[in-house]
Amino acid sequence: MIQRQRVGISEWRLAEAPAILVAYGLGSCLGIALYDPQRRLGALAHTLLPTLLPGLEGSRPGKFVDLALRAMVEKLEAAGGLRERLVAKMVGGGQMFEALYSRDRDRIGLRNVRAARETLEALGIPLAGEETGGSSGRTMEFDLETGAVLVRTVRNNGKIITL
Amino acid sequence: MSFRHLTEGQLDALKEISNIGMGHAATALSQLIGETVLIRVPQVTVTEVSQVPDILGGAERVVVGITLKVLGDARGAILLIFPKESAEELIHRLLRRGPTGEGFDEMEVSTLKEVGNILASAYLSALGSLLHTTLIPSVPLIAFDMAGAIVDHLLIELSEAGDLALMLEAAFHDRRGSDAVVRGHFFLLPDPGSLHMILDAIGVDG
Repeated sequence: MIQRQRVGISEWRLAEAPAILVAYGLGSCLGIALYDPQRRLGALAHTLLPTLLPGLEGSRPGKFVDLALRAMVEKLEAAGGLRERLVAKMVGGGQMFEALYSRDRDRIGLRNVRAARETLEALGIPLAGEETGGSSGRTMEFDLETGAVLVRTVRNNGKIITL
Repeated sequence: MSFRHLTEGQLDALKEISNIGMGHAATALSQLIGETVLIRVPQVTVTEVSQVPDILGGAERVVVGITLKVLGDARGAILLIFPKESAEELIHRLLRRGPTGEGFDEMEVSTLKEVGNILASAYLSALGSLLHTTLIPSVPLIAFDMAGAIVDHLLIELSEAGDLALMLEAAFHDRRGSDAVVRGHFFLLPDPGSLHMILDAIGVDG
């Protein structure tokens, strides 16, 4: 039986094969997977906001895209992963309700996606796949055996995509 | 001061306001449908917003979410969640027709938004009289998707404000049965200043 581990909002989790890490029901939240294919070791974050805001210093790092990514890289390296081998995949960053109040570029989902790109670039980690934006909720399953990320939606007749 | 430390007395006061508000909403819905609707509020609780998907039956459960901003002297947001089946039952009763397919068409979406508007307005009117002020809801926004995805939008809006919400269970009954025909959850998510106003009004000592 393969071990499935749930990664809740504002959490991130490290695992190695043969585990599956799952982030359920991503809306504007962004799920980010990092994978070292050689060690079959990886981590998944379920992030809420692009970056740390003043007044939230005590929050869990898993809440923020940039902090979660840096924390995951650090722990992956400590666990025997190599930053040069890491690849990233991300899912989510959508907009569940029509935006009456905000312009496109202000949408939090897109800001999360942008923050992830910038942080990955700064860390020198290539983005190997993404399913982001739009208006659908998504569940993301990250298979540590293969590095594959399965994306499930309930709209569009339950479309499933593999990244 | 926060929702976390509410006394039994304060919760009772909030439940009373909720019952008054839902009573007004039931009257409005009854007139709209042309038959008696009763809305009971069996429970008022304080919950972490991040726990909401679990309360609703899991992050992947398909629900209808209707959200409105609270405008006026007190600010915040309202979120109404109906399980898919309950939303369909509401539509069936209001439009007198069965489900039309997988999603909801324009007429059905508009109907559900109107229900959200009625419930929110009635609730805010009751809360407003307690606070001696006028509270009005914004235009409702609607989404039909996984519970987790619908709730994370609000978590983000609230992320500066704190992570607690006041949750009301709403059970809609018709004249015939004791079993609820429609069940929904109503969440009030006040910003920190408004929370103080509410807690002051219901009495710090409960």
